[in-house]
Amino acid sequence: MSTEPIDDRTSLSARAADFIIRMRWAWLALTAAMVALSLAQISNIVPLNPDARIFFAEENPDRVALDRFEETFNKNDNLILAVVPEDGEVFDPKVLGVIGEITERVWLLPYVRRVDSITNFQHTYAQGDEMIVRDLVVDPENVSLEEAAWAKATALDRIELIGTAYLPTKGSAVSAVQILFTLPGVKPEVEVPTIVTEYEALRAEIEEKYPFVKLMATGGIMINNQFSQSGQQDGQQLFGPMFLLILLIVGLAIRSILGTLAVLVLIILSALGGLGAGGWLHYQLNSVTVLAPLYIMTLAVASAVHVLSACRQAMVDTADRKEWVRKALTDHMGAIVVACVTTAIGFFCLNFSISPPFRELGNIVGIGVLAGMVYTLTLLPALIIFLPIGRRTKRATSSIMMEKLGEFVIANRKMLLPTSILGVLALAIGISQLKLEDDFIRYFDDRYEFRQHTDFIEDNLTGVNNLDYPLHSGEPGGINNPAYLKEMSDFTDWLRQQPAVTSVRALTDTIKRLNMNMHGDDPAYHRLPDNYEEASQYLFLYELSLGYGMDLTDQIEIDRETVRLSVFMARSTTAEMRDLTLRAGDWLQENAPIMQASWEKLYPEVPMITPTGIVHVFNLISHRDVRQMLTGTLIAIVLISGLIMLTLRDVKIGAISLVPNLIPALMAFGVWGYLVGEVTLAIAVVLAATLGIVVDDTVHFLSKYAKARREGKSPEDSVRYTFRTVGMALFVTTLGLVAGFAVLAQSGFAVNGDMAKLTAITITLALIADFLLLPSLLIWIDKRSSSMTVPATATAAIALAIAGAAWMFTTDANAETPEEKGRAIAIEADKRDLGFGDFEADGEMILKDKGGRESRRVFKNMTLEREASELGDLGIVVFSKPRDIRGTALLTHANIEPNDDDQWIFLPAVKRVKRISSSNRTGKFVSSEFSYEDFGSQEVDDYTYKWIKDEPCPTEPALMCFVSESYPKNSKSGYSKRISWTDQNEYRLMQVDFYNRRGDHEKTLQFLDYQEYLGQYWRAGRMEMKNQQTGKATDLLWTNYKFRSGLAESDFDSNRLKSISR
Amino acid sequence: MRIRTAVALFLFAASFVVALKAAKAESPTAEALGADYFEIFGEVELETTLFADSPQFAGQDRDDFSAAIEPTMLVEWLDGDLVFRFTPFARFSAQDSRRTHADIRELKLDGDFGDWSFTVGADTVFWGKTEVVHLVDIINQTDQVEAIDDEARLGQPMIRLGYLTDYGELSAFYMPYFRERTFPGESGRLRINPTVDQESPVYDSDAEAEEFTPSFAVRFAGSLGDLDFGVSGFHGLGRDPAFLPSATGLQPFYEIINQAGLDVQYTYDATLFKFEGIFREGQRNLQFREENFVAATGGFEHTLFGIAETNADLGIIAEYAWDSRGNDSLSTFQDDFIGGVRLALNDEADSSMLLTGSVDTNDGSMTARLEAETRIGENWRILAEGQGFFNAGSGTNRSPLADDSFLRIKLKYFFGG
Repeated sequence: MSTEPIDDRTSLSARAADFIIRMRWAWLALTAAMVALSLAQISNIVPLNPDARIFFAEENPDRVALDRFEETFNKNDNLILAVVPEDGEVFDPKVLGVIGEITERVWLLPYVRRVDSITNFQHTYAQGDEMIVRDLVVDPENVSLEEAAWAKATALDRIELIGTAYLPTKGSAVSAVQILFTLPGVKPEVEVPTIVTEYEALRAEIEEKYPFVKLMATGGIMINNQFSQSGQQDGQQLFGPMFLLILLIVGLAIRSILGTLAVLVLIILSALGGLGAGGWLHYQLNSVTVLAPLYIMTLAVASAVHVLSACRQAMVDTADRKEWVRKALTDHMGAIVVACVTTAIGFFCLNFSISPPFRELGNIVGIGVLAGMVYTLTLLPALIIFLPIGRRTKRATSSIMMEKLGEFVIANRKMLLPTSILGVLALAIGISQLKLEDDFIRYFDDRYEFRQHTDFIEDNLTGVNNLDYPLHSGEPGGINNPAYLKEMSDFTDWLRQQPAVTSVRALTDTIKRLNMNMHGDDPAYHRLPDNYEEASQYLFLYELSLGYGMDLTDQIEIDRETVRLSVFMARSTTAEMRDLTLRAGDWLQENAPIMQASWEKLYPEVPMITPTGIVHVFNLISHRDVRQMLTGTLIAIVLISGLIMLTLRDVKIGAISLVPNLIPALMAFGVWGYLVGEVTLAIAVVLAATLGIVVDDTVHFLSKYAKARREGKSPEDSVRYTFRTVGMALFVTTLGLVAGFAVLAQSGFAVNGDMAKLTAITITLALIADFLLLPSLLIWIDKRSSSMTVPATATAAIALAIAGAAWMFTTDANAETPEEKGRAIAIEADKRDLGFGDFEADGEMILKDKGGRESRRVFKNMTLEREASELGDLGIVVFSKPRDIRGTALLTHANIEPNDDDQWIFLPAVKRVKRISSSNRTGKFVSSEFSYEDFGSQEVDDYTYKWIKDEPCPTEPALMCFVSESYPKNSKSGYSKRISWTDQNEYRLMQVDFYNRRGDHEKTLQFLDYQEYLGQYWRAGRMEMKNQQTGKATDLLWTNYKFRSGLAESDFDSNRLKSISR
Repeated sequence: MRIRTAVALFLFAASFVVALKAAKAESPTAEALGADYFEIFGEVELETTLFADSPQFAGQDRDDFSAAIEPTMLVEWLDGDLVFRFTPFARFSAQDSRRTHADIRELKLDGDFGDWSFTVGADTVFWGKTEVVHLVDIINQTDQVEAIDDEARLGQPMIRLGYLTDYGELSAFYMPYFRERTFPGESGRLRINPTVDQESPVYDSDAEAEEFTPSFAVRFAGSLGDLDFGVSGFHGLGRDPAFLPSATGLQPFYEIINQAGLDVQYTYDATLFKFEGIFREGQRNLQFREENFVAATGGFEHTLFGIAETNADLGIIAEYAWDSRGNDSLSTFQDDFIGGVRLALNDEADSSMLLTGSVDTNDGSMTARLEAETRIGENWRILAEGQGFFNAGSGTNRSPLADDSFLRIKLKYFFGG
């Protein structure tokens, strides 16, 4: 690569500068046009969208599940209105009166669909043969002391009320009225605020009228309202300090009122540009993007300051304003363009986020920064020429401090380099302390009343976060099936024992109660009915008697196939919730066959019964996003470092630049890990966003350094020169950025706050890295004059490691005919191996001939399970020995018989991937005793079966084995049958005898050294295949099994075979 | 000649010893690079080429004796999702100083991240489906002094970005630097006459430093059931030059071309049907006149598994190649029938043989080519490669090679791993 001097473009910059100055009038017109264009679009972007769900993209699979669920059971926008009596007793007649009044009056709020409270709770009891359903407190306004006492005793006896919005886990100090809304969703920015305004009015009236109660509110409506309010507050409260700060820093840096004014105009127009683009893209502002203008202004200041301070230097020599501008533009245009473009690239890469607000933020800020670049290079020069900015003839006090810093770094570089590397490592280890915590209630800090109320309600009444389980019964009306109800009841009991679960709302509680009522309130009948008809009749009767608006449609699906089960949790962490979800899924898999089977039929791609709910989607979002953004960030790294290499025309320096660009973010994550630990989904986007910003300093530093080196200066002198020329400017602009982001960090909304804080930390660390680490590194590398560094070491550190495992055969049990039993054995064995996901293993084949001579084949095997039974698994075998076939890779997409598999082979010598015919089943795999057929994947439906007998296993006589025959369905098979021995405990294949087409016993395969992986999947460490007819044998040894190592279908594409072949 | 032979033998012995050491030496640990995996492996080769006839042109030496080395350094990060490969190559030839050459076959960083992948650096990329004529393949320049069957190629600097869809992969290539084709020198055989002046090519490009003229390519390659297909487009300097007669010989003439290509393979049981076709514009033909053209090749390969009750597989290959420029084509395959058999013994030594023959239906010239190879012991492999040119008298487009029928034997030692 050539290392032409960067100055070969001075002619270009100079010509461009002349052009800009000549066309100065045009820029004013252009600006006016751009502003008009932005203003025309900007109305699209307001008002703020309050919906918390904007964080979920349409295509987010968790959101899809949530939408599907809500289609079945109505969308759940609720308001939980806690009534807190001052003397701590809800069942006081006057408090019951207030609750009763609220229960009636909230019906007048807009869009109300249902109201539940302790007074209108539907109490059931028996009266002779009849079942009575009525409100728990019939006439709350005139309730007597006895009635109140009876209501208390009755309510405290009902498990379905305890720990819910009705009553706390202990006592009866608080109770809530729950209101469900059906929002039309036509004007989301109006609907929720209207409800909240009317509620606030009601609250003020009630609290005034009944001074002995206080009202507190939480729930989905309040959350949404908070999203819009905090966005507006952020906007309003942060803009002022931001302006002041910018005025202060710019004023101090350039010491000119008019200059500062010009910068202000410029950054406001840039922000307008970004917002206009947002409007043009049909974005609606939300709690994240509301800060976009502040980002843009912070970022746009830096370029403007560069131009103005260059003018400040030029004005010493000449009074000609055009000369000032010409000099400033000629010297700085290149760096400004690179700085802005890299920043924009970094932000544009936020498009990889799965969360739309971040994509929108990235696009608005990216475009705003580019608009800022255009204004800096056109409008600002024009303003400098037109405005009567005063000339100063004294040089600015030179940055003696910077020169001293430079000397310090040069003198101590031998110590600085290792020390900073250690420092980086020590900080980076803190990354392991990071915990992804996404709880949208705690996105808002406790400056907000909403957060205080929610905390109170969670501590004193019930959890606001709920997970909803759609429990499918597999058939219409199936919810009355006693076996299904038993599963639900057991699941409810299990859930209630789990830590962090405050309550569970399950239909089985109601049904048990009804059963008791129908048997004359005999407590012995507080259990599930014995048969389908009873369950169905009780529910029918109950529903007929329910009061207005109290129906069961939010719990039972219309054709009675599915029941909703809600789990409430208070103050639980994301990790706890995820853990509960997984354990519950496991429990259901093992203990709820009806629900599991119905689920698998509906969602074959999701193996576990999975809950839904906004909380659940938030739980998963940062996990998904971190993975997505890793790609985005890598692309940002490639693009940005490519751009730097192009700019500096120097691959080596470009590669070195990666160090100060990447490590600050790692260190910032580390610092955060040590100091805070919990982090929201904002973390995923920080690296990409900051990369473009921190690059600017590096570019300025390196371009000056490279220039000095080309002029023949020693590495030390080049560092001195660099500190002298750009040190101060870097310091000032970085200070400005850090200050700007520090203001943004004051946001009470954690997503915004965390992102700004992390960005501020990253930029600070980047400046330190540029000043301390980079010079030491440059001198060290230039002295050794070695070649490129390996940038990827740094990227490797942010990698996510995932786990993995499997390879598979067959067999199981209680069926009647030998054929059915044989097939059942095969299905059970297959089922026991289901869900392994993927695995990798190292294989070694030892081929032995009759005389005992051996030759070896060493390879790596990767397998990915495709769970749908009509799809076979995916496999790759990559050879490493013998050495001359090293890198040869065989990819198989297994198909179900009678279809041939799809196979591709990669030939490393010519770097070519060829699709090959896989109809050769009987051929020997790499000349071993295994045929392609034996080595390929085995699917249950490839064979028909027949169970023969049970006998002790041939390889392990202590165990009993099923012996069964299987007959290949495909006529191309080399076998007429196989006899297999499968152990009865674990359904592991122990031995297979292969019979050739003539019916002779040809080969015997034994499986030895079984080991269990993931506590579930058995894999043989050794397989011995003996040819009974020729005496040859092949041993196949498996080591290094790694299950769930993170293989994806994309790894098994023929286009990827080249890169996976090694 | 004798001195050069001695040098070749010495270089082979030296690199063999180095390779043996490298294979045994403790490699720098992967941890030092923060890597998951680190390895050096490769091959050294001793080769002799024997020609049946005396040279046709003045200045050509008769036979060749040469040595080559091709080591690879491999580093992996992120569980193999990020891979660095460095494969330099060098050959010393006793016969032809142009054949004494070195190249960087690979020096690249490969990243696979979900559906996205990228390659930055020098790499070799193969496109296409057919066995003998490779029309669609255009990313890499041919290393013609290395082998005349277009299978040896020079590393191409590139930035590749790939995106995987359900139906295949979309890749975009940016190639900032052009690799010039290698041609045999004065004393080399298997060349045209006069010699090609490899050192002073002419570019039909405006770029200041012409070899930095960038090329761009896109390709979508994937499969639908039993159908594998690739669609590709290329803009940049054509890899195969026209020739401009000059005082020093023929000057290679590289021009900016546009090419669209399609390659398809249909797998039906044990039979593979293959097709490749291109349309190219902007290139001069053998008469040095610009002519847009279409070229196509296609045929089938049918495999008989386990012939004669053994493990051996026998493949039968038939292909036809056509070029709309006819005899003005820069390729020797412009109206040729190709037939062949491939025998894979599937024995422990992975022995195999490929025999192909082609007939030019216009001028009746023929070639026959044999490739056979087998492993010896654990780490050695011997390969024989022979090609005969028949009926290639003056007037046919293979006439410069008429006296160049040869047998080449290669002995390779594989190390590392």
